[in-house]
Amino acid sequence: MRNQLNQNKNQNCFGLRIPDIRHKLKYLLFTFAFFLFTFNLSAQKQRFPKPEFDTGYTQPTPVTPEPRALAMEYFDVLVLLLVLAAATYFALKSRSRQGILWLSVFTLVYFGFYRNGCICSIGAIQNVTLTFFDPAYAISLTALLFFVIPLVVTLFFGRTFCAGACPLGAIQDLVVVKPISLPKWLNKTLGLIPYLYLSLAVLFAATGTDFIICRYDPFVGIFRMDAKFLMIVLGIAFLLMGMFVARPYCRFLCPYGVLLSWMSRFSSRHLTITPSKCIQCKLCTHSCPFDAIDFPTNEKEVVKSGLGPKRFITYALVIPLWIALGVFVGAKSHTFLSKANQDVYLAELLIAHPELRNDPDNIDVQTFLASGKPMEQLVSEATAIREKFYIGSMIAGGFMGLVIGMTLLNTVVFRKRQDYEPHKGNCFSCARCVDYCPVEK
Amino acid sequence: MNNQDKLKLSHNIALITGIFCAAVALLLLLNFWQITKTDPIESKALEALVQRLKDDRNNEELKEEIRNFDLLARKAYFNSQWQVETGAYMLLFGAIVLAFVLRVYYAAKSKIEEPEKVLENEIASRIIAQKGIVIVGAAVMVLALLASYLSVNQLKSYDANALVAENETTADEAVEVINVAPEQTAINEVSEEVAVNETTASENVTEVQSEDASPETPVTETKPAAASSGMTLAELQKNHNSFRGPLAQGVIMHKNIPTEWDGAGGTNVVWKVEVPKHGFNSPIIWGDKLFVAGADNTTREVYCYNRNDGKLLWTGVADNISGSPTTPPRVTDDTGLAAPTLTTDGKAVFAIFATGDVIAFDMNGKRLWARNLGVPDNHYGHSSSLISWNGKLLVQYDTNRGGKVMALDNKSGETVWETQRNSKISWASPVLAEVDGKYQLLLTADPIVAGYDVETGEELWSVECMMGEVGPSVGYADGIVVAANEYARMVAIDIRTQEVLWEDDFYLPEASSILAHDGLVFVATSYGVFVCYDLKEGELLWEDDFGSPVYSSPVFADGKVYLMDNDGVMRIYEFSRELKKVGENELGEMSGPTPAFADGRIYIRGENDLFCIGK
Repeated sequence: MRNQLNQNKNQNCFGLRIPDIRHKLKYLLFTFAFFLFTFNLSAQKQRFPKPEFDTGYTQPTPVTPEPRALAMEYFDVLVLLLVLAAATYFALKSRSRQGILWLSVFTLVYFGFYRNGCICSIGAIQNVTLTFFDPAYAISLTALLFFVIPLVVTLFFGRTFCAGACPLGAIQDLVVVKPISLPKWLNKTLGLIPYLYLSLAVLFAATGTDFIICRYDPFVGIFRMDAKFLMIVLGIAFLLMGMFVARPYCRFLCPYGVLLSWMSRFSSRHLTITPSKCIQCKLCTHSCPFDAIDFPTNEKEVVKSGLGPKRFITYALVIPLWIALGVFVGAKSHTFLSKANQDVYLAELLIAHPELRNDPDNIDVQTFLASGKPMEQLVSEATAIREKFYIGSMIAGGFMGLVIGMTLLNTVVFRKRQDYEPHKGNCFSCARCVDYCPVEK
Repeated sequence: MNNQDKLKLSHNIALITGIFCAAVALLLLLNFWQITKTDPIESKALEALVQRLKDDRNNEELKEEIRNFDLLARKAYFNSQWQVETGAYMLLFGAIVLAFVLRVYYAAKSKIEEPEKVLENEIASRIIAQKGIVIVGAAVMVLALLASYLSVNQLKSYDANALVAENETTADEAVEVINVAPEQTAINEVSEEVAVNETTASENVTEVQSEDASPETPVTETKPAAASSGMTLAELQKNHNSFRGPLAQGVIMHKNIPTEWDGAGGTNVVWKVEVPKHGFNSPIIWGDKLFVAGADNTTREVYCYNRNDGKLLWTGVADNISGSPTTPPRVTDDTGLAAPTLTTDGKAVFAIFATGDVIAFDMNGKRLWARNLGVPDNHYGHSSSLISWNGKLLVQYDTNRGGKVMALDNKSGETVWETQRNSKISWASPVLAEVDGKYQLLLTADPIVAGYDVETGEELWSVECMMGEVGPSVGYADGIVVAANEYARMVAIDIRTQEVLWEDDFYLPEASSILAHDGLVFVATSYGVFVCYDLKEGELLWEDDFGSPVYSSPVFADGKVYLMDNDGVMRIYEFSRELKKVGENELGEMSGPTPAFADGRIYIRGENDLFCIGK
């Protein structure tokens, strides 16, 4: 098999014997196409004013689009269930990378371009959070199911949701062309970001400030073919980066990935590289573009390293200090963080710059003035929101402290492993590695 | 299909789709460039056609040409939009195919790497990871702390700031009267050549408490007035002491008013001087002295000119006023910081600025008193002009925090009375009207047109009939008050019975005040239509659609009606029930203020210069 694959290494293409140049040209072409894609999307934002004279044309009354029919929402849930079942089947039963690949294409088309990236399980975190903290907000059953179902499936079968049911994962997965392996320390360090993003997303949702996951979703602008220029650029940048650093959003940003990772660690039937016994051929060692394969433990090296029980105890004892530090920093940061809230922002703006009341171009201020709401009420509401931020920021800070402490502790924990295994928390169950395993079932 | 075939096929498809994507992308780029470069709504050709139409308003052929041009521009624009949208989808399709075949190509081409020795760097990597985690964790914490220390909790300072925000009220209550003692004050010396700047005056502060006024009910607080420095109507009519002349009614008694001039060419221009600082206030006249004000973000000044030769006699600076903001409030360019017109009682000249500063100078430039009424909460800038009667300086102070009118003592600046009004913000100016031997102050704002006793401030009557951002002042004649505002209505009110005699909503002024005189009413719209109505019946008598914007107010003088447009063209009409245009004269520069009149002279403030028109 290896010979068959290697024989193409120096393949002539159209008589050219300069494969490197050819590859570079393709990347450039691809990059160029995506950047141009950015331009045309932003161009669509322009508008033409109405004529200044009477044309006889009757201006249609703007109509607010009807929400998606409930039956169709349940249909979306059904599709999610079917896709998850198929992804799980392809990953665990048929062990088919091709199956998962085509499923990703379907997910991208349906949940991405057809459903415009909404509803999505990642954003549903915020709906669930807001339900707990805002008694006036009732989460829809669909949003709840989109949040819960992937977690439950992951708890039993690993992250098959990431493999084939997530449109954000799918669009990134499909552009992985020449992935590079990142060093472990970088993976670990960057791995802190999703926790930070999750804690901020929950904090902002709980305080009714913003749904930052949706607002800063880099791919939704591409799905909708209509987004702000910078968001399109961000999405394109992620895709370009994703050609070499596979699934950058999933690995180093996705807040839902944090929850899935936790669930997946407990999964009893996770994807395995080999269908039966590992023969230690090492063919799969570089097959994972996400650096999610754990190698067998070299016990001698571990003993020699000194990263043993002593350091484990030290790091374990330091965890409360990290938490305390996080709580302290969170408490201190609440003023800063709460400025993201529109009410707090407006109240502070009017207090610091009362002259802005005279600024007809300041839409925020003019809208507030037109509402007739007294300043006292605005300040009172802003103060209440800031109080919520005080508590929330301390919890978020404490959580981040715990995450840092636990991640640190994890670096001195060595699990006894004799085979090459997917890391249950980090593996997206994409089944790339199974194609590399020569072991037959 | 063997692997070789797969490779070849995927490569070929990749190449074709790559070229396709590049071509579509290039076309899109060109389209994008074209859209950004050519703004169809600012087409020079269209602008030229519109300009031609302004000169030839009834040219139907030209109108049709403009419509066709506009339609063509729209078609081109929407065609571009369609191309962009279609191209985007084509590019998306191409990109998907390209991504797919590239994947197939690399999958078919991939080789299995030689197995490498593992775990070589596992321990080292973990140790580096520990450092990385600690560094990143600490960096996040430090950045958060830094951000927190750099953040200011403005909400905590709300109470203190609220007091400042309510300054408009407190400042009114705590009146600061500046008594200028001769030995403590540097006085602006009267100079024929150079204006002398005012220097700091020592301030004796007197606090006058006033009771809280309910916004629901107009409340009047009256203090004994200082010795009257009142003028007679005859005296006023000899001068031009306020916005729109005596009583601010727009009716001038002077004769021999010129009807022909050319500002740019110098024909019938007696003199022309540049005003040091800009302002939209109109000139006022007392005797041989003419006063205007100007302001910028640094200083606010009052200028006194000799109206015979245009020489600057003195400059009074409105500075060192307690309660005055260090930075002036934000105002719009078409209002500015010196929009209100000054007034004089012949003994002193009074000015108010958008900062809320009111200042009085004697006729020689000596500062008498100054106070700040609280920075008016006004999103365009305060523009209500001052007027004086019977020793009182009357100030309409309708702001976003509610309406009020007050009378200050001409000599001391102390509040004589103050009346809260059930009105919103306005930009109109007060008008005086004599009714059955007593003088009333007529004010208009959203929602009321009302009359106030000049002596006590008592609200004598009010009619709820106005709305919006009211700029035009009322017209008054023959016992009828006429008030109007753009996008609202024009109403004629019997001042004795408050009966609405008639109303109309076709031609409405935006900024120009209403002239009512001897059975006729004149209204100038901001889009350049000058209209004459019958005062009693409201019948539209004539209209002149000249198409230039007008902010200045029409004035009756010498049997004619004078109306200046923003382009500096003054149109003169015979005061008649029929349209008879007497003349049309160009100033040579833009003009928004209302001219002042004296025997044989018109004084016009342009964008930069002050003109004396006459022979």
